[in-house]
Order: sequence, then structure tokens, then C-alpha cells
Amino acid sequence: MYAVETFELTKYYSNGKVKALQEFNLQVEQGKIFSLLGPNGAGKTTLIKLLIGILHPTKGRAQLLGRPITDYTIHSRIGYLAENHRFPEFLTAAQLMYYYGKMSGLEKTILKDKIPQLLKTVNLEDWINVKVHKYSKGMMQRLGLAHALLNDPDLIFMDEPTDGIDPVGRREIRTLLKSLRDSGKTIFINSHLLSEVERMSDEVAILKDGKLLQKGSVEDFTSIKEQYQLRLQDNQTSINEICIKMNIPLSAQNGLYTIAVKDTVQLNRLIDELRKSDTIIQAIMPRKISLEDFFIEVIEEKEEAEN
Amino acid sequence: MKFLSIIQLTFRESFAKKTFMAFFGISTLICLLFIFALNLDIVDGLQSSVSIFGKDVPKLVNINEILWGIEAAVSVFLFTGGIFMSLFATSSLIPSLLQPGFIDLFISKPISRFEILSGRYVGAVSIVAFNIFYMVIFTWIILSAKTGIWNWGFLLAGVMIVLTFAILYSLMTLLGLISRSGPFSLMLTYLILFFSPLLLQRDKIYALLSSKYYGYLLDGIYYFLPKPSELGNIMQQLVRGIAVSSWMPLWTSLLFAGIMLAMSGYIFQKKNF
Repeated sequence: MYAVETFELTKYYSNGKVKALQEFNLQVEQGKIFSLLGPNGAGKTTLIKLLIGILHPTKGRAQLLGRPITDYTIHSRIGYLAENHRFPEFLTAAQLMYYYGKMSGLEKTILKDKIPQLLKTVNLEDWINVKVHKYSKGMMQRLGLAHALLNDPDLIFMDEPTDGIDPVGRREIRTLLKSLRDSGKTIFINSHLLSEVERMSDEVAILKDGKLLQKGSVEDFTSIKEQYQLRLQDNQTSINEICIKMNIPLSAQNGLYTIAVKDTVQLNRLIDELRKSDTIIQAIMPRKISLEDFFIEVIEEKEEAEN
Repeated sequence: MKFLSIIQLTFRESFAKKTFMAFFGISTLICLLFIFALNLDIVDGLQSSVSIFGKDVPKLVNINEILWGIEAAVSVFLFTGGIFMSLFATSSLIPSLLQPGFIDLFISKPISRFEILSGRYVGAVSIVAFNIFYMVIFTWIILSAKTGIWNWGFLLAGVMIVLTFAILYSLMTLLGLISRSGPFSLMLTYLILFFSPLLLQRDKIYALLSSKYYGYLLDGIYYFLPKPSELGNIMQQLVRGIAVSSWMPLWTSLLFAGIMLAMSGYIFQKKNF
């Protein structure tokens, strides 16, 4: 059973003039951090809103944890952090968590223990009895995160979770999300912060104009096939001659050698040759590009294809 | 439990917007006015003198008649003022529920959309019921303590005021859902509130109409729309302990409220946020 599964999910606005999501098919496995990337207006927020039931699909259907999205009772197993959530500012964090906790069907006795514990997790323990209108944007976001975890959900939707949060706070949230993933929860993220996504996601999908362009693991997207980077001990230049002899393209930058081999057999032969020449290899790693580079590449390819 | 938390949150919002406190303050002021304005002396169970705001009321034979008369007048005052204030105080509750980012939080919970809307509606009616009953019971205690006559029928004024509000608020709920504007829904509801008594005089309008079909149309509008002024009359009859001449205004108004709420429920169910 998938955490999220969509079948030809479609959403049109303005009588079909705006195609926010077009016959969108997606499967997200349970127990993973899944991130949805895309430029502004790609349909990311529309997708989350459709899955939560805030919007109704024009056609198609979807399931959350094996249940149709039309079944609101599944929300008892779902947490949601909206992009521009608007909490009642007249409440304190504790009151807010209490009312929304009760709406999630949680008992008063459970909430009594859970609220301080969750607010502590997001570093708001000193603000528990302060009215929300005094909170900064980052604090609001952390409160939103605590609110999303209130019912101990199996599936958590987060629209721009680290928006407005400082780098230290972002790292804490990353750690928290990873620990939630490790405890078996599925986390579905919409984010513009590609470096954040790259650091914490297991799987990524790229969306543009309401269509799915790519889906795969971060590792798959960022690794370049058959390209490796080697770090050698200083003043060991025999690699140049060996590469020429073996017909392996080589480039060097900042003391790091990049090679493009035919396959792993050729890579191992190169290592053998380097070792024979007493070259000290400090590290060998697959060459990677950033998720941002990959993202831009995919989006540009799509735009070129359209033109 | 979940439904109750929506009602509680509505109460909280009303508190925060100060409308609840303003309503409560005005209610208290009205009640205090009655304490000081009404001067009623009873000697051996008979009326000795009655004055309101310092002016003597002509002597009547039966103290019960005086009390019922005063209570009927007071109930009309509470009815008109109470409905006017209540609609004003609760006009923003539905549009504020629909604000982007706020409604999302409700929908993401394991509650049906019907429960969300009805929780908000019941919350608004509860806020009004709390204030109206406070005002009615307080006034009733003052009047009864001053006369020594406890007319339980006066308490029905509270029921009728709240019922009338609930009927009008069903229209305001629908208008608020469609327009997302508190002032707009308030103005249209006030229009119905003040326009409906004119329809009582439709017999006189018939003569001015060129076609009998306009008359049917006018009748149709009359029976369809809520009838707050006639509900006020029913309330007076209940307070005076007189048999109610016709319950038709009540049940047709309740039917109107039912239709408004059903339409609101349908629209809310289908709405994209």
C-alpha cells in the first residue's frame, strides 16, 4: 500500500482555462521523505490541497494510506502544515494546540502531556502561554510543525516547511523530519529550497505546468553515470600519463580529478595502474551535481521541448 | 467532542473580537436600566403606583395586567434590539471561517465539512443565546422581584428571540458563504428584517398591481421569507399568556431556515478553498 497514490488526478480552474494539474499519476511509498519540486504555479500546492480535500478534483481520484481522499476520517492519520496557514492569533500556542487537538479527536488527558512535549520539540516551550500574534514568522512555522504532529500522523504534508526559518532552525527541522521518517512516518514536502530538499529527501518529483516531468531518488538525479572524482596525495601527477595511455578523459579542478570511464571494470583497471605507479589514492567518489542543477536542467529541457 | 471544539473556538473568536463583551456589556446596561427605571409599589398585593423613567403609568385594576403589559413591551424591546445587535455581532463569523489558511486547518482535521459549518452556525447561535437569555432572565428576575409575580411565560421571549435570530442567521450564513463578506451579508439580512413587515400589508399593495400574477408572486415571497415581525407578535402572545393566533409564521420561517442551511451545506461541501 502506498502512502499517496493518484490516478489521472486533474484540476482545472476558470472553466478549464487554467490547467493546474493534468492527469497526474504518482505513487509515494510509505516511510520515506518525498519532495515535490517545481517552479511557481507548477501545481504543487494544488496537489496537496486536492489530497487534503481543500480542493475538489475536476477528474481523477487519489488515495491516502489506501483510503480515498473523499473519506475525511483518514485525516485522523494525517498531519498538515499549510504554506500560508492562518492560526487564530487570539490564542496562545497551548490553547491553539488544545482546540485543534480536540478537532483531531484527541482526549484532553492526552493533550495535556502532548502539547508541552511537542512545543518543546520545536523549541517553543518558553512561548507556550504567549499569544500567537506576538510570534515571528519562523516561530509561526515551528508552531505549524508542532500542530501538524499533534495527532501522531502516519503521513505528514508540509508545504514549504522551512520557509522563514533560520539556518539553525532548518537543521533542527531536518533532523526532526529524518527521525520521523526513521520511525516509519511518510513525509510529503513541497519546497523551493532545493538544498534543503537534497539534504533530507529520499525521493523527488519535478512538476511543471501541472505535469510530472521526473520522479526518482535524489541519488539517481544527482549522480552522473560513470563519472568519478579522485583525490590523490600531493605532487602525484602520474594520473595524467595513465589516463592518456588508457584513453580516459580527465580534468582537474581544486586538486580533484574528474574521470569519465566506460564502466566499473575500466575504473578498477585505472586504480590498479595508479597503485602500480605508487600513487596514493585518498578518495574515489561518484561525480555528483546538485539537485538545483538537475532541476534547472529538467525545467530548461521541458521549456526547449515546448518551444 | 470535535463538534464542541468548533463551537468553543467560535466563542473564543467572538471574545477576541470584543463583540461578545460589547454584547454582554450592553445587555447588562439594559438590565440595570430596568432596575432603576421601573418603580413599582405594591401594597397588600395591589398596585399603589407604577412609574417608568419617572413617568407614572395610568392605574390598572389588575397587577398581573400591568406586569404582562410591561413584560410584553420589554420583550419587544429585547426582541428588536437583541436581533439587531446579534446579527451585527455575528456577521463576520462565517466570512472569517472561509479565510485562506484558516479554513484549511479545519478541513485537514477528521471532521466533515457539514460539521465544520454547522459547528460555526451553532457556535454563533450559542453566543447569541447566552447573551439573550442573560438579558431575559436578568430582566425577568428584576420585574418578578419588584412585583412578586413570576410570569414564566416571559422566559419564552428568550426562546423566540433566539429562534428568530437562528432563522435570520441561516440566511446570513448562506450570504456569507457566497459573498465572503460580513458587511454584505449583514446589509441584505437587515433588508429582509425590515422589508418583511411590509409584506404584511400586501393586501393594500394588490390594488396597485396591474396583474393578479404579481399578487401571487407577492404571496409567494411573503410565505417564503422569514417573518420576524410576526414572530415578535407570537412572542408577545406567549409572554402575555394569550393563545397564539397562528403558528404559521413560525413554521414557514423555520422551513426557510432549513432551506437556507441545506443550501449553505451544499455550497460549502462543493466549495474549493
